[in-house]
Amino acid sequence: MSENKVEKILIVDDSEMNRAMLTAILDKRYEILEAENGEVALEALNRHGADISLVLLDIVMPKMDGFEVLAVMNETRIIENVPVIMISAENGTSHIKRAYDLGVSDYISRPFDAEVVQKRVNNTLMLYAKQRRLVEMVTDQIYEKQKSNSILVNILSHVVEFRNGESGMHILHVNTLTNILLKLVCQKTDKYKLSESEIDLISMASSLHDIGKIAIPDNILNKPGRLTKEEFEIMKTHSAIGYSLIEEVPYNKNEPLLKISSEICRWHHERYDGRGYPDGLKGDEIPIYAQVVSLADVYDALTSERVYKPAYSHDKAIEMISNGECGAFNPILLECLQENGDLIREELKVNSFREFDKEEIVRITDEMLKRDLVSEDDSAVKLMHRD
Amino acid sequence: MTLKELYQAIEGDYDDVMGRLPSESLVKKFVIKFLDDKSYELLESSLKNKDFETAFRAAHTLKGVCQNLSFTKLYKSSNTVTDSLRPGQLQTEDIINTQFSVVKKDYDKTFLTIKAYAEQA
Repeated sequence: MSENKVEKILIVDDSEMNRAMLTAILDKRYEILEAENGEVALEALNRHGADISLVLLDIVMPKMDGFEVLAVMNETRIIENVPVIMISAENGTSHIKRAYDLGVSDYISRPFDAEVVQKRVNNTLMLYAKQRRLVEMVTDQIYEKQKSNSILVNILSHVVEFRNGESGMHILHVNTLTNILLKLVCQKTDKYKLSESEIDLISMASSLHDIGKIAIPDNILNKPGRLTKEEFEIMKTHSAIGYSLIEEVPYNKNEPLLKISSEICRWHHERYDGRGYPDGLKGDEIPIYAQVVSLADVYDALTSERVYKPAYSHDKAIEMISNGECGAFNPILLECLQENGDLIREELKVNSFREFDKEEIVRITDEMLKRDLVSEDDSAVKLMHRD
Repeated sequence: MTLKELYQAIEGDYDDVMGRLPSESLVKKFVIKFLDDKSYELLESSLKNKDFETAFRAAHTLKGVCQNLSFTKLYKSSNTVTDSLRPGQLQTEDIINTQFSVVKKDYDKTFLTIKAYAEQA
């Protein structure tokens, strides 16, 4: 919102007299909208949205009272962006407490003092404007951080891909599939609880799943024909090597990205039936993110063209995976894959890494602010504390 | 009659209202505007129809307006009847009617005094 625009205040009161008094007190500095009951107020809120900078709300009104208005504002989350000051002749503490519980910023009892009303309105507006600016700053910072992180991971994984002589699309596809499958599995069951930001982190980490291949000799890695048994054994070491590589990074020991990506490296060739490598983990002993990357890896290998095979269709790939020709997987994950063929085909068509869209970043920021996960060394948060 | 004399006549609190609102002219404007306020009429008619829910809201509005204008006497009587009409704490009709007759007396006095004041102005 531009700073020099006159802010709009919505006055909601069934008494014309009361509205006129408040208007007289405030109309020199603000643009005033009026509503004579809760229904009209909600209409105005829907029409003007966050263009309304503040609501002055009476409690006792016909049709829809002030508490009902607050309930709707909570449901629609309008109250997060539009502050409400309650003005009422109800001076019992139960009313005042209930109003605060429903998210009002302030409570003014009648009879009110003109100057006090002006001051409280002004303070609330300033506080909200400040909070909006800070949230925007944090959002921008998270966006920039996510973006540079994912660029670095992309470079790193591209280096590995380049040496493997792979198509260049494989890592992108695994990333996209991991993201979709995790979202689907979280919708399907609450067995695996992952937040949106965790899913993003895992998708990013999935790009590093084959990083251990940098330690596999060229003549094995890029051998045109079938690998011998010994060569295959060497090839298999790439998962444990990838794990150690990341595990031995001497700094940022506690970063979730390192923990998740190292475990994906180590366990993306485990099998749900316990017959995979290197550790022979079984079922949910394998972290869900490693299970998902493993399935994404196999699915993309089947549906992409290789020197030694054509690209199979989605249905053919599902059939081969379900038959157990390509490993053993968590049945819930297989269901997610089977039921969403169209969605998956659509998403894989997009030949670029997912741009973090602004809305997604706003949701992630919101999530982080709510869980208080923004770490103390984040400069925006420092700013917030200093303020 | 000055505004201060009006407040004395209706047993309101002139100093209080002047302390809260920014200017005498604004207070004057709203005191005269009180003649157009419909909450008393609504209270009277809804009581006649035994629509106590509407009566509560009307009494509540009247009391709020009086509070803002520091019409102390009328505020007190309208506040009493508001509490007796409060949903969940509704008093008997006898009690309400007795309390309302006080509101009526105070309102008539307030209304007529303001009317006279408005006409001379």
